[in-house]
Amino acid sequence: MVAKDFNLGGKIALVAGDSKYWSKYAGAALAEAGADVAITARNTKRLEQTAEEVRRQGQKILAISTDTTDAAQVQKMVDQVVTEFGRIDILVNANELLLAKPFLETTEAEWRRVLDTNLNSAFNCCQAVGRQMLKQERGRIINLISCLAERGVENFSAYCAAMGGVLQLTRALNIEWARHGITVNAIGTGWMSETDQTGAPQEELLLKYIPLKRYGHPGEVGSLLVYLASDTTDFLTGQFLYVDGAAMSHL
Amino acid sequence: MATGNGTLQGKVAIITGGGTGLGKMTALLMAKEGADIVVAARRVGAIEQTAKEVRDIGPRALAIPTDVTDPAQVNNLVKRTLAEMGGLDILVNNAGIVRGQERRPLWEVTDEDWRIGIDTNLSGAFYCCRAAIKHFVDQGHGKIINVASGNGVRGARGDFMYGTAKAGLINFTRVLATTFAQENIQVNCIAPGFINVFNLQPEPSTRERPGTSPFIPVGRFGVPEDIGHLALFLASDASNYITGVLFANDGGGLAGGIAPTGYAPVIAMEED
Repeated sequence: MVAKDFNLGGKIALVAGDSKYWSKYAGAALAEAGADVAITARNTKRLEQTAEEVRRQGQKILAISTDTTDAAQVQKMVDQVVTEFGRIDILVNANELLLAKPFLETTEAEWRRVLDTNLNSAFNCCQAVGRQMLKQERGRIINLISCLAERGVENFSAYCAAMGGVLQLTRALNIEWARHGITVNAIGTGWMSETDQTGAPQEELLLKYIPLKRYGHPGEVGSLLVYLASDTTDFLTGQFLYVDGAAMSHL
Repeated sequence: MATGNGTLQGKVAIITGGGTGLGKMTALLMAKEGADIVVAARRVGAIEQTAKEVRDIGPRALAIPTDVTDPAQVNNLVKRTLAEMGGLDILVNNAGIVRGQERRPLWEVTDEDWRIGIDTNLSGAFYCCRAAIKHFVDQGHGKIINVASGNGVRGARGDFMYGTAKAGLINFTRVLATTFAQENIQVNCIAPGFINVFNLQPEPSTRERPGTSPFIPVGRFGVPEDIGHLALFLASDASNYITGVLFANDGGGLAGGIAPTGYAPVIAMEED
């Protein structure tokens, strides 16, 4: 249970992401804290299954399949959410398309696709939802990205560039909308896995680079998400905060 | 009576500098969630008042007069807490002063100014962590929340001791987090922005006050609740995978700061 002051009862959240991972964990955390949640992703069938799981938290859940790289579809989706729920208090941008290969082997098409999904989707959603939040003179935008927005990792050139783009979008929008009651923050996730990685081949990497000595579980991001979405964070904006087991603070 | 959801029920928190401002607000918000509170600061009247308000909410409270720059007093603070409250789960290092903030040439800063500035804003937190952390290690959990400042992230003009000590506190946080991550001790840092602890009237005149409002993108001072709620979050089990992180809670100040708020040129894209 979350502390009472972080309760999201009566709030409307929109989670734009993939159909099974962040939509599930972010959606469930917001719903558990009391928000009604719209989740949107491209894969209709999987999205419905995820919506069913999130619905177990007891709040009203709306699933809308959208290609968020398409601005017109995003606008239509946002209109539908507003028609259904009346407003949007919280936007979570959680699109994540991973690609890892040597930079010189990365094709232009791959580069564009990674930027399209990870960065341009956030642009589309911030624009369509931002218009609504400006009307409301209130809103929370939380960009769920990776710590790779600030750190380079070999073979992650396109991904790092896209994540860095969302991070700077976060900071720029924060300045532009700070006086309109809209806070814009980013959460940087560290090495995450849904399953226990003990004994896995990459464990040595973990021992070296994660002071906590384990992967994070995506469910562990939910509590920070709820805090940032709550009414207690009017003054907390433009920040990049990590859920990473101290990986980023480690030299 | 405690009016929250009991997320800190059964926990004991020490809050230094808890007699006033951010520390006091942190004490009251944690108390509402059920935590027993030990208030430590130099001024007896102020900490007694905070303790009384905690008891009015419901949990137990203890006011222990403490000068955090004196290791013996700090050791006594932790010892008495364990003896009289029966445990310790949360340490909030909030004590600090802004002494020697007046802008003046570096060569006029005395040894004493420097020593007091560093002692109060950095060494005090070190003494408190040193005194508490063995207990945290032995019991297998603990939360440390260091209250630093945006002045510890960016240099403010003439802000020698405070800015330097707060920068030290920020990295001390990371070192502690890295060292004790596997002991299930979470150590995080808060950098408050301009927080209105004196009930200044912020609107509308300060929107235009030079040197203040252009550096706060949201256009207002923070209030103690802004910081207290963050400390509450970092003290709770909701933040168990978060450690070694600096949380700026500053109205967007640090994320910008390269141009005054409102500087917004329009430049058309030029295709070639």
